[in-house]
Amino acid sequence: MAAIADEVELLWALIRQRYGARLDEAQLKIVRETLEGLARDVAALRGAKIPDDAEPAQPFIPFRAEP
Amino acid sequence: MSVAFRTIRELGADLRAGRLSPVALAEACLHRLDTIGGKLNAVVTLTRERALEQARRAEAELKAGRDRGPLHGIPYGAKDLLATSGGIPTTWGAAPFRDRCFTYDATVIRHLEEAGAVLVAKLAMVEFAGGMGYRQPNASFTGPGISPWSPDAWSGGSSSGSGSAVGAGLVPFAIGSETWGSILAPATLCSVTGLRPTYGRVSRHGAMALCWTLDKLGPLALTADDCGLVLDAIAGADPADATAAVRHYRYEDREPGRPFRFAVVRGTLEAAQPAVRETVGRALDTLRTLGSVEEIALPDLPYEAMTRVILWAEGASAVESLTESGAIAQLTAPEDRVTPYARDAILAKDYVRALRLRGVVAREIDRVLSRFDAIVGPSRAAVGPRLGEEFRSPIRGGAADVLGAIGNAAGLPSVGVPCGFTPEGLPIGLQFMGRAWDENIVLAAARAWQARTDFHRRRPPLA
Repeated sequence: MAAIADEVELLWALIRQRYGARLDEAQLKIVRETLEGLARDVAALRGAKIPDDAEPAQPFIPFRAEP
Repeated sequence: MSVAFRTIRELGADLRAGRLSPVALAEACLHRLDTIGGKLNAVVTLTRERALEQARRAEAELKAGRDRGPLHGIPYGAKDLLATSGGIPTTWGAAPFRDRCFTYDATVIRHLEEAGAVLVAKLAMVEFAGGMGYRQPNASFTGPGISPWSPDAWSGGSSSGSGSAVGAGLVPFAIGSETWGSILAPATLCSVTGLRPTYGRVSRHGAMALCWTLDKLGPLALTADDCGLVLDAIAGADPADATAAVRHYRYEDREPGRPFRFAVVRGTLEAAQPAVRETVGRALDTLRTLGSVEEIALPDLPYEAMTRVILWAEGASAVESLTESGAIAQLTAPEDRVTPYARDAILAKDYVRALRLRGVVAREIDRVLSRFDAIVGPSRAAVGPRLGEEFRSPIRGGAADVLGAIGNAAGLPSVGVPCGFTPEGLPIGLQFMGRAWDENIVLAAARAWQARTDFHRRRPPLA
C-alpha cells in the first residue's frame, strides 16, 4: 500500500496542476476523496492474479468500407 | 375506461377489439404524464405532436387490418438519452443540453416506431446517466426523481423517469439504460419490472455514451411478460453499432416445463440492509416452490473494483470535452461538477488490467451459471433514500453490489421484479440474472414469480 500511497500523492499533484485553479477547497476535498477511492479500487485490482495469457475482453473489429 | 396500470397485452386486446382507440390511449397517457408526471419530476418533454400522429396512424392501420404486433398503438416513454428527431430535445438530464436536438432517431426509437408504438414523452434521468459521480438524488436539471410510493423518496437512477412513469401508471412501458444499476435500481424503487438485456442484444446507436463496453438499453414495464414483448421489438443487429449482436432474438412466453434451478451467491443477502435481507429471504422460500435454490460461493476477486475502473476510465473519455472545457460547472449536483477531474488518475495499465480480469470473470461466471437458470438476489441492496439524503452508490464505492458488478461487467441479462415493501411502504426488489443471451430463461423465471405473487399488481399512493 505504500507504493499506492506514493502514487496517490503524485497523481494528486497532477490533478491539482491541471485543474486546481478551477476548484475551491471544498471541491478539492471531493476530488481528493474520489482519488483515494479510486486508489483503493486500483490496489484491489492489482492484487488479483490474472493468467499471463488473459487478453483484454475488448474486441477490435477491423474496418473495411464496402462498395 | 381507465387505462392506467394495464399491461401491454391487456391494452392490445382492447385496441384490437375496438374497445379503446390508440388516440384516446395516447391522450390519456399524455394527460397523466402532464399532471402526475410533473409531481414526480418524471418528464422532460411531452412529445404530444409526434404521439398523436403515431396514434392516428396506428388507429388507421388497425382499422384497415394491418397489425404490426403487440406494441401497435401502445404508448411509451423514452429515457432522455435516446436521440429523437423532429425538434424534440434530447437533454441527457444535463442543463448544458436542455435545448439540444438531434436530426435522427436512435435505433431503439426507430424499432419501436416500426412496431407501431407511440412515443408520448422523453423521461427524466440523472444527468449524464449518473456517470459524473452523483451521490444524492438531486442530480438532474429537472429535479430529483420521486418514487410514486412516497413523496419524499427517490425514484432511483439513472433511469429515474422511466421507473416512476411506469410505477405511477403514466405509461405502460418505458425504455431505460443501464451501465451499472440504472435499470434495476429505478425498477426496484418504483416497484416495477425492469429488464437489463445482454450487452449487445440491443443497439446503442443514438444513445448517450457513458461507458461504451458497459452501456445497455432495456425496458421497464408492469410485468416480465411485457418486458419480453418490448425486447422482442428492440433487439437485433445494427450496422450503426458494431457491438449489436447478429444473434437472433424472439421472445418466447412458454414455460420451461421443469423446475427452475436457482443459485444464491453467499454473502449477497448478508451485505443487504436488514429489511432487504428479510424480504428477499422470504422470496427465496417462495422460489423453492418453483424449483431448487442452492447457495454457491464465487472466487474471491475484486469484482466491484474491476467494474468501477472500467466505468470511470471509459467515462472519463466519454465526457472529456466537457471536463476539459469546464462545462461540467453547469451541472446540477455539486459533486458532478468536480468528481470527473479525479479520473485523470486512472492509469492505462490499470484499465487494461481490469479488461483482462473481466474476461476471466466472464468465463468463470458462465461456468457457474451453466448449472443454473439464474442467480437470484436483491436487485438493490438498500431501500430508497429520502430526497436530500446522501447515499453511497456502487459506482462511487461503499454500497455492496457484487451481482451488479459481475452482471454488468460480464454483460449478463437480469430481470428485476417487485418482491415486497419495508414497514414504511418503500419497495424492495428481487433479481434473476442469467447466462449471456438467456433473456427468455430469466423472463420465464420472473413470470413464474409474478404468477405466484401480487407485488407487481399493488398500486402506489401517488398514482
